[in-house]
Amino acid sequence: MFPPQFGYYRPSSLADALDFMSGGDAKPLAGGQSLIPMLKLRIIQPKFLVDLSPLRELYFIRDEGNAVSIGAMIKHSDLVKDLTVKNKLPLLSHTASKVGDMQVRNMGTIGGSLSNADPSADYPAVSLVYEAKMVLSSSNGEREVEARNFFKGPFTTEVQENEVLKEIKFPVLQGYKFKYEKIVRRAGDFALVGMAVLAKAEGGKVDDIRVAYTGVSDRPYRPYEHEKMLIGTVTLDKIKEFAEKVSNSVNPPSDSRGSSSYRRKVMQIVTINTLKEVLGVVS
Amino acid sequence: MKYVGQPVKRLYDDKFVTGKSTYVDDIQISALYAGFVRSPYAHAKIKSIDVTDALKVPGIVAVYTYKDLAPLVKDGIRIWNTYEDPRQWKFIPRKPLADDKVRFAGDPVAIVIGVNKYVVRDAIDKVNVDYEKLPPVTKMEDALQDKVLVHEELKTNVAFDVPFNGGDVEGAFKQADKVIPVEITNNRLIPSPMEPRGIVSRYEGGTLTIWYSTQVPHLARSEFSRIFGIPASKIRVIMPDVGGAFGSKVNFLPEDVSVIASSIKLGRAVRWTATRSEEMISSEARHNTFKGEVAVKNDGTLLGIRGDLLVDLGAYLTVTEPIQPAIIPLMIPGPYRVKGVSIRSRAVYTTTPPITMYRGASRPEATFIIERIMSTIADELKLDDVTVRERNLIRADEMPYTNPFGLKYDSGDYISLLREGIQKLQYNELKKWAEEERRKGRKVGVGMAFYLEISGFGPWEFGEVRVDENGDVLVITGGTPHGQGTETAIAQVVADTLQIDISRVKVVWGDTETVVASMGTYGSRTAAAAAGAAMVASKEVLEKMKKIAAGLLKADVEEVDYAEGEFFIKKDRSKKVSWNDVAKAGYYGKELGISAQIIVPGDVTFPYGVHVAVVEVNDYGIPKVLTYKAYDDIGNVINPALAEGQIHGGAVQAVGQALYEEAIINDDGQLTVTYADYFIPTAVEAPKFESYFAEKPHVSAWPTGAKGVGEAALIVGPAVIIRALEDATGKRFNKTPVRPEEIL
Amino acid sequence: MLLVRPGEKVKVRVKVNGVWYERDIEPRMLLVHFLRDELGLTGTKVGCDTTTCGSCTVLMNGKAVKSCTVLAVQADGAEITTIEGLSSDSKLHPIQEAFKDNFALQCGYCTPGMIMQTYYLLKENPSPSEEEIRDGLHGNICRCTGYQNIVKAVQDASRRLRA
Repeated sequence: MFPPQFGYYRPSSLADALDFMSGGDAKPLAGGQSLIPMLKLRIIQPKFLVDLSPLRELYFIRDEGNAVSIGAMIKHSDLVKDLTVKNKLPLLSHTASKVGDMQVRNMGTIGGSLSNADPSADYPAVSLVYEAKMVLSSSNGEREVEARNFFKGPFTTEVQENEVLKEIKFPVLQGYKFKYEKIVRRAGDFALVGMAVLAKAEGGKVDDIRVAYTGVSDRPYRPYEHEKMLIGTVTLDKIKEFAEKVSNSVNPPSDSRGSSSYRRKVMQIVTINTLKEVLGVVS
Repeated sequence: MKYVGQPVKRLYDDKFVTGKSTYVDDIQISALYAGFVRSPYAHAKIKSIDVTDALKVPGIVAVYTYKDLAPLVKDGIRIWNTYEDPRQWKFIPRKPLADDKVRFAGDPVAIVIGVNKYVVRDAIDKVNVDYEKLPPVTKMEDALQDKVLVHEELKTNVAFDVPFNGGDVEGAFKQADKVIPVEITNNRLIPSPMEPRGIVSRYEGGTLTIWYSTQVPHLARSEFSRIFGIPASKIRVIMPDVGGAFGSKVNFLPEDVSVIASSIKLGRAVRWTATRSEEMISSEARHNTFKGEVAVKNDGTLLGIRGDLLVDLGAYLTVTEPIQPAIIPLMIPGPYRVKGVSIRSRAVYTTTPPITMYRGASRPEATFIIERIMSTIADELKLDDVTVRERNLIRADEMPYTNPFGLKYDSGDYISLLREGIQKLQYNELKKWAEEERRKGRKVGVGMAFYLEISGFGPWEFGEVRVDENGDVLVITGGTPHGQGTETAIAQVVADTLQIDISRVKVVWGDTETVVASMGTYGSRTAAAAAGAAMVASKEVLEKMKKIAAGLLKADVEEVDYAEGEFFIKKDRSKKVSWNDVAKAGYYGKELGISAQIIVPGDVTFPYGVHVAVVEVNDYGIPKVLTYKAYDDIGNVINPALAEGQIHGGAVQAVGQALYEEAIINDDGQLTVTYADYFIPTAVEAPKFESYFAEKPHVSAWPTGAKGVGEAALIVGPAVIIRALEDATGKRFNKTPVRPEEIL
Repeated sequence: MLLVRPGEKVKVRVKVNGVWYERDIEPRMLLVHFLRDELGLTGTKVGCDTTTCGSCTVLMNGKAVKSCTVLAVQADGAEITTIEGLSSDSKLHPIQEAFKDNFALQCGYCTPGMIMQTYYLLKENPSPSEEEIRDGLHGNICRCTGYQNIVKAVQDASRRLRA
């Protein structure tokens, strides 16, 4: 309940922040909705927190035509309401409305959430299906990392100790059907299993489909190989076969929300239900 | 009757809606803060404790271990003698801190005292305790083996082993057409009031003043008096606003004793407020299993019950836990005619957080057992739930009825209520609807259960009424409401008895210096006992005022009567004096002051009812209670809105107990859930309610005729919801909670 | 830029219920403790340690936040409204009246947070459906009322505010 002692740095610019962080043992503070609970439980004890909130350069939503660039400090509540995001990245906006509760969404940020990489968080799966690109900044410069290479393990990402996730670029997928299905035992909880789908499908034919899950592994899971079987004419049998394949491809965790075998079953059922809904397949 | 029976608005809500409430952590007083070093292990020897580093943390005033506090503590925490018989129990009075051994993960080992909460928390990390781990014993069944002893001095883990035999069990089983085995379990859960508990202690000039988040300030006073050897007259316990308790704050923790001891030792005020994690291990609840068999006739008549009840105590016997193994067997027969019951009731220690009572305190456990038995009989004999109950319910002409264990059910017409309730709650219509919906593919079901509960516990309650010079009334009650709103019910009763406007009535409670005596608010007794005592005191006050009025009217008191604010001569109503005149005369006249104090004796009463729930299960096995309906005979209903509020709250706790809440202890004996994954239902999981009270209630012997409603919905709710879940899924469940993966 | 070394304090300036306060505090101090312990505004409560229960809900720059999961230093320069700031001149806010009239509280501990969240919810959505109310309040836990009366109070408040 009581964070340990730490120092605090309020930077005047992103460059200033990165310069400070290159000194090591400094954690960036975004909305604090993941960081502060960890501090309260004393799971982490950083020497410094670097407050990113003064950095206006991290608050932006840029419509770049066939992509939308979102600054790391954009809040979940912003993603829910912003018209550009709602129109051009509807899956992201829809998912943002399911994060935590209203109060948490007013503080928490997309950058903070992605950097935290909770294996049951909502955005990671969504970033995989969008094939988003993460822009990482350090005092040495910038680099881009594809979403599929960003998540390394539980609470572990490609972001190095001296780096900050600055921006996430989401390709705009015009005309794609979308759904984020989040199975929870109680409102506001982390996902037991979450499933993100983006599909280009018309009249029973699938041209492109991306599927990703949260809560089923130590990181978000996208079954790149198995997705291919859904291309073309889609049938209920194909969906069921896909569901069985993907749920057998993972070893979900067991915790107070549910056992591994239960998560596997849920994953199978949510896959069938969600794909049926998105692809318009009836029994 | 102007107020009683009406949904009068609660008297003191202003402070709560404006943030002017004062719970124990809100009290602004110059005090040091305390925190606790706790064992990470479920079972370990304490080899040594090194506090030198902790003392170096700036702002730390003291760090105490058992040996520092032992000289101040004359006795340990014991059990509640009013309702529990210590001769039946094997226990060691609880010490303020762990002495040579820790017995659960979280057992407090040292108290750290400093100038603010943050530095105290820092210093806790710096206390070095050298533990030698011992094997834990986390399961009740293992504890019975006595291979790992939790308290060596007791030479066994079995603290309580008492047979409960009533009626003719052998005869019952001889006559049986069928013998059905049952195994029924309530798993461990956590009462979780929204306010984590706390205490502020100040010892000055030989007087101990304590602000305490408790339900029982007077019991606390007498317990702390015994523990510290300080006369009760030199102890003042003040109950501030209390943010819920559900029975868990009739409990004296070693943390409380340590804080008091530290305040005495330091000569400075010391305070502690539990964090939510600490609150979660300070009071856990339920956790018992009944394994036995039931003798029945083919027509569904229940003949006999026999079996074993095993109750988990946790690592230490708490103030209230003895109630469970002693009362559960008594209430298992419930409202049914049972020829014979034989239950061996045992309670064992395990190296887990200690267990206390929780809303219902043995009746939810007993009701779950008997209602699961009833539903099992229905399923085995292919009868419907209502028929089985009707066949076995004690009839109105058998009242008052003495059950096989000698409990005397005072009043009631169970069969009529069952029939009225089933009709009013539209049970049969709902069952038909659910069946149709299931044909369409929905997994939806309806369940019912009947309960008889024991409430309105005696042996007495205190009430005092004072009329001031303006004619306003102060009621000092021995009840200790902490959310129920029963202070408003008490004001209603007093206002009606005195026939004055309720705005003139003020109700106070909870301060041992103001309230002469009190038992408190628990066991659904306030509307019965506390309001009853206030009513009797009001009547005495009225008699005193009649005497004063007689003096003013120059008549004999027999000639005087009172109505609606006027004392008058019966034969000539034009000769009258007003309530205000009499109050003033009483204040300034020969007999200074108008007041009456009374201790009203009384004993238990038995409310009862039938509840119905609709449960739907989604594709993922996740259940939701859509609707919850109640039809209860709770005797006289003083305030239907307050009573209904108790049904709503108890029912959502029943939803939690049946479907969501489980205090999961791992093999290392540690509680593995936090508030984030201990699933208290939110508004999304809560059902829609319908609550009714019997048209023709049967009153209790307490002066108000109320029976008590506070615990009813949690007493019967889990059985109702589990039954509905069975109806929805076609599966059998004989435990709480049921996890989604068991449903899928 | 501002550098506060571990062990040092930082000056924060926060406007609470219309009044500017300036205090020197440790960066680790949570906003809820700042409000309760530094400023003596104990209306906001602490009910858990996992950002679950919502008892600590306040408005920060007009938005509902859980003050137990905000550092006081993050509120530097911000405007905070706590439960104490909802009513003025001893006249209750319609939401407060609605809670009273609908028996939407019992022990009262969750009530300040519940009322602040209701205030925010109705600002964002002046005419919410029952489902939207329940969903909007799922970050606020009540152990006493069973929520139905709270829902009624929010519906009642919604009507009063639109009148």
